[in-house]
Amino acid sequence: MSTASQYVLEARDISKHFDGVFALNEVDLQIRTGEIHALLGENGAGKSTLIKVLTGVYAPDSGTMHLEGEGITFKGVSSAHKAGVVALYQELSIVPNVSVAENIVLGDDMPTRAGLVDWKELRRIAREQLDRLNQGQIPVQRMAGRLTPVQQTMVAVARAIAVKAKVLILDEPTAALTDHEIQDLFRVLRNLRAEGVAIVYVSHRLEEVFELCDRATIMRNGRVMTTTDVADTTIREVISTMVGRNQEDLFPTRGIPGASTAVEIHNLSGQRVKDVSLSVKEGEVLGIGGLAGSGRSELLRIIAGAQRHTSGRIVIDGQETNHKSVAAALSHGVALVPEERRSQGVVLSQSIGENIAVGNLTSISKWGLVTRARIKSLASNSIAELQIKSRGPHQTVGQLSGGNQQKVVLAKYLARNPKVLLLDEPTRGIDVGTKSEIYGLIRGLAAKGAAVIVVSSELPELIGLADRIVLMHEGHISGEVSAAGADEEQLLSYCYGRAAS
Amino acid sequence: MQTRAAAGEGARRYTSALGAMKSGGTIIGFILLVAVFGMMRPEVFLTFGNLRNVLEQVAILAIIASVQTVVMVVGNFDLSVGATASLSGAVVAQLLIGGQGIAVAIAGALVVGALVGAVNGYLTAYLKLSAFVATLATMTSVSGLAFIVTDGTTLFGLPQGFMSLGQGRWLGLPIPIFVAIAIAVMVWFVLRNTTIGRRWHAVGGNAEVAKLSGVHVNRVRFLAFVVAGAGAALAGVVLTSRLASATATSGDSYMLLAIAAVFLGMTISKEGTANIGGTLIGVGILGVLSNGLNIIGVSTYVQQFLTGIIIIAAVAFSRLGNKGVS
Repeated sequence: MSTASQYVLEARDISKHFDGVFALNEVDLQIRTGEIHALLGENGAGKSTLIKVLTGVYAPDSGTMHLEGEGITFKGVSSAHKAGVVALYQELSIVPNVSVAENIVLGDDMPTRAGLVDWKELRRIAREQLDRLNQGQIPVQRMAGRLTPVQQTMVAVARAIAVKAKVLILDEPTAALTDHEIQDLFRVLRNLRAEGVAIVYVSHRLEEVFELCDRATIMRNGRVMTTTDVADTTIREVISTMVGRNQEDLFPTRGIPGASTAVEIHNLSGQRVKDVSLSVKEGEVLGIGGLAGSGRSELLRIIAGAQRHTSGRIVIDGQETNHKSVAAALSHGVALVPEERRSQGVVLSQSIGENIAVGNLTSISKWGLVTRARIKSLASNSIAELQIKSRGPHQTVGQLSGGNQQKVVLAKYLARNPKVLLLDEPTRGIDVGTKSEIYGLIRGLAAKGAAVIVVSSELPELIGLADRIVLMHEGHISGEVSAAGADEEQLLSYCYGRAAS
Repeated sequence: MQTRAAAGEGARRYTSALGAMKSGGTIIGFILLVAVFGMMRPEVFLTFGNLRNVLEQVAILAIIASVQTVVMVVGNFDLSVGATASLSGAVVAQLLIGGQGIAVAIAGALVVGALVGAVNGYLTAYLKLSAFVATLATMTSVSGLAFIVTDGTTLFGLPQGFMSLGQGRWLGLPIPIFVAIAIAVMVWFVLRNTTIGRRWHAVGGNAEVAKLSGVHVNRVRFLAFVVAGAGAALAGVVLTSRLASATATSGDSYMLLAIAAVFLGMTISKEGTANIGGTLIGVGILGVLSNGLNIIGVSTYVQQFLTGIIIIAAVAFSRLGNKGVS
């Protein structure tokens, strides 16, 4: 191999613009053989566009690419695929309604005998690939859609190595995985690295990056800020490079909770929730932590009327409501910002105005009539107040970045002036800058006297944002601490249901 | 920065022009259709009398397609509208023959239609059956009811006053045209400017989002079907009045045409959602096609074949356009 090919994939001076705005501005990226290379940056920094250029989805406006030292131009995804550059996206990684084996040997390479699919050979190839990943326990005949999320990711990885990928690009592969599953995935990725596969790893979870990756390229505003060995840097440094400021500045200062209690629940039980009691004062931000499946989201959904409770009482402002629908909860001033932005928060095909209006139809209508002008003015106010980056109320929400979509969800519920605001993972998959703005909005609402309950998987977020934190384990409350000065390890031990030592 | 902004503006104008061309494709097709028939037989096709004929022929389809639009905005569809029109047309005839007053007979037919819609709505919204299965089943049963009501015969001998609804004229135009316009305008207004209209859009866009925004999703979906049932019944009443008779199957053919019209109309909207303006253009295309082909002497068999081809062409064209823009 010549010296030029110490990099398996090299992109030089890549530029790409849309509508006259640069998404990539003279970007360089060098991926070595057998490394795990993190690609970091806030939403809108250009990571997705860069991946799409690397995998032939977009043709760059200018710049060159080299694969193993040779100049190369991809004409579409399949040409990149053939050359050995494969990307796995979080959502589109498998075909759910065909078998695992077919997922692994999808496309041209289907083995045939006398013109018919050779099922035996197909399964053998599939098993071989899964064995390479030490995932032999995944049944190759099962429908891929019935696998767990981590198994689905493994199947997608198996397909990539089946086509002899030289560069494997993973976009947020751990978003749907539990901690245990993440470790399984990491083991597989490390084995692939040892076999010489180059891996580009995109994630918002910096702890993972520091655990797994060798080098990192950090992007901001369509440019590469730096490429560094992960061992030579810190999370703080990475964040400040990504956003251009320090992590401490992310969180707003805490306020002083009021005297009266805004929401109380007594011995509440329902699906996954067992005998939970808690109360939140006006102006207070309560954080709820816990592992996935601990019942924290279900608890919020019950308080918001989105899920029935089987026993217990809900008291809002001293009045027992025990509401059993979202509409009823909203009428008592209880609003839930749901967990899944794209499937529960916004209608992607509709405009910002329509999305915000649907939660506020009663207040903007008269005798059942609602004019475009009312919708527009409501949305314009929200856009200004929450600083939603958009072309105006008429813009389709699907065209906005994740952070701005989340602001639209927030706007819909904030416009109701809720007395009790419940937020489930309000900053998941959102860039650091927008996270900080959302923290500010949450604190701002609390300062106006609302009670806020935030569920989050990120302990630093709970510690930085909340006044008080309760932890849940298997449907019960397993611990409660004051947020100021709380210790992550202690919180974690409560999450696992152990009393702090 | 300024040049970038300017370039952005230019690019935006370019893409929106592309979008307009794509969404305009169906409209352009409609105009082309009129132009072609106009050139082939200008002395027949482009006369006031013939255009009035076209409008008269499509009026009933326009009513059914308008209410079908509502159901399709909510993200469902209703296969039973044609059968409901037949049944209601038979009910109004039977009531009139039985000596009821015109107003009572019409009201009775509308109530029957609304009830069918309520059954569809209940099955779909509350029992969560797929709209396909639920409305296919009600279509079958309602069709059976229509045969029971007519006893398999043609009902006629209706009072003259009732017939003026379907055969009378106002300002030189047949009254069904005005009924169709009134229904279309009502549906347009309700979809656009009322809270129930906004809720229909939200439920059709994403029912879970709507629910978590405080919308009573089931109730809203149910209402859409009731509207479709009542609208189909009205169309059936007008049809009976126009034909001066009723059979168990007079309205059946409108179901597929109405769905086709809404689909054609969906190609006009950028997001591909059902919309009343598009639906009316779809109705227009189907009406002009049938009328024009008749005039140039194409047999009804060939007409039916061509109608299918045109629907495929329009929907495929809008798909291609979509790909090009995104």
